Amino acid sequence: KMLRSLRGLVCHPQKLDHRYALHTAAKDCLSSLVKQDVQTPAEGPRAVFYTSENDPANHAEHHEGRHYTIPLEEVKAVFPHGLPHRFQQQIKTFNEACLMVRKPALELFAYLKKSNFAHPAVRYVIYGEKGTGKTMTLCHVVHYCSRQGWLVLHIPDAHLWVKNCRELLQSSYNKDRLDQPLQASFWLKNFKTSNERFLKEIKTQRKYVWGKRDSTEEGRPLGEVVEQGLARVRNASDAVGVVLKEIKQQCHLGFFRLLVAVDGVNALWGRTTLKKEDKSPVSPEELTLVYNLRKMMRNDWSGGAVVTTLSQTGSLFKPRSAYLPQELLGKEGFDVLDPFIPILVSNYSAAEFESCYQYYRHCRWLQHPRGQ
Amino acid sequence: RLTPVRWSRYGPSYLEPDVSKELYQKPLEELSEEEKEKLKLRAVHPIKAAPPSVSTSVFSDPMISKFTNMMMKNGNKVLARSLMSQTLEAIKRKQLEKYHKAPEGEKETIECNPYVIFHQALKNCQPIIGLSSITRGGKTYQVPVPLNDSRKRFLAMKWLITECRENKHRRTLMPEKLSQELLQAFNNEGPIIKKKHVLHKMAEANRAYAHFRWW
Repeated sequence: KMLRSLRGLVCHPQKLDHRYALHTAAKDCLSSLVKQDVQTPAEGPRAVFYTSENDPANHAEHHEGRHYTIPLEEVKAVFPHGLPHRFQQQIKTFNEACLMVRKPALELFAYLKKSNFAHPAVRYVIYGEKGTGKTMTLCHVVHYCSRQGWLVLHIPDAHLWVKNCRELLQSSYNKDRLDQPLQASFWLKNFKTSNERFLKEIKTQRKYVWGKRDSTEEGRPLGEVVEQGLARVRNASDAVGVVLKEIKQQCHLGFFRLLVAVDGVNALWGRTTLKKEDKSPVSPEELTLVYNLRKMMRNDWSGGAVVTTLSQTGSLFKPRSAYLPQELLGKEGFDVLDPFIPILVSNYSAAEFESCYQYYRHCRWLQHPRGQ
Repeated sequence: RLTPVRWSRYGPSYLEPDVSKELYQKPLEELSEEEKEKLKLRAVHPIKAAPPSVSTSVFSDPMISKFTNMMMKNGNKVLARSLMSQTLEAIKRKQLEKYHKAPEGEKETIECNPYVIFHQALKNCQPIIGLSSITRGGKTYQVPVPLNDSRKRFLAMKWLITECRENKHRRTLMPEKLSQELLQAFNNEGPIIKKKHVLHKMAEANRAYAHFRWW
């Protein structure tokens, strides 16, 4: 979990560093914030901040504020690309992945358990200030759904698709649109690792022609489409589009549940920093990946849910203080996503902060003697 | 009245600022005699302004700030400070990784506190004796000479920084290079310790000229 969440509680101690201010302060911890009469059971090993309940399905309110571990093999299988960079570093350092159970996640689980899958998919938008834990909440939900056996379509950061793209090819399928082979192939690779068994079970319903010699017949497993996309990088974006379309069409049949988890969904409706060869700006509709993803966002399919996160961190041309859905999505995005359920994620409360502090102390992350 | 420093605008009666919270937070009864005397003296004399780099925070360390100032280029203290904190974080991460993977018996021996490692590494890098060039009869001789504490600290930090800046691959970042060097120096291995040993050997070889020193 990011220590940036402590920013809300500490009023900017040292303005000399940019984002590392908080990390130094938190690394050497804020002894002044911790109450003097903290009851830490010296004996009871990790009772205060840890729970051994490793299945998100059984997390209830009394687990709130506690950390639970995800075994490392599961992390590699479920989150090949989902976790934020600092959390991955933390996993590497502590040799274990510990996630805190928080209220927004529990709320989402309650909704998902009670939702009726015959109705059109409900859209949830997780929003909140910078560094409060939206991405981590999303990862928690993804873990829960993968444990339940859903098909998880996890896009780690939609902002990566609309900026810093080196290669833009003109799409062979539709002349106006542009392809992004690198991003598409990277995503396909990760999608393959996370959802192996579904790729064997789902069959295509149409014939797809990739070029003069390659084509995929009707009734072949989706795994072949993914292989095709990985082998022929030029067709990767089209492969992604095919995968999304097939999954959407077959979802309402009820063989599997679909979770679409998109981080940074406001990237789909803003502007891009990409330019065509004649230096004219590219709007998001002209990118195949974005166009196909927008089709998934509409609630014309049933049998699953769409959980998205707004993110100002990677967003383009938006002020730093913007965090409300209205501001970040823009009018266009807001209209498309319109009947959605907003879920606010705020900074750690005192109890959560305490639990986080105890966890770091246990893992010997706080090394300075005055920080303890 | 003559002031000891040329350009200082402060008169001679000005005292240096004292930046320790513990001293001023003690109630009057607990102070010892000398401390009471000192406080009375400070109450009467004017005091110079404290420079912005000195702080009352428990986490500030004069050695660390000196090192950051030496790493700074073109006055970019923000960058130097962030590099320093990234280095300390990198050291801590590497040590914690080793700690968590080690078996129970070795866990005690692994030092995780980056400040302790930094101080110990600097101490290991400090040379004991230095060389200075003295000209006698037209020829310059390298004469072994004892060094001040401050000169030793300066040489250790200078060697660390130049080693990191020059002898590493172009694409590696400074925090990574620095953390590697500091960990090596902590274990008494690595190029800087070698440089220190070379200096000691040169001084030992030039022992004959030691009488050229007049101070």
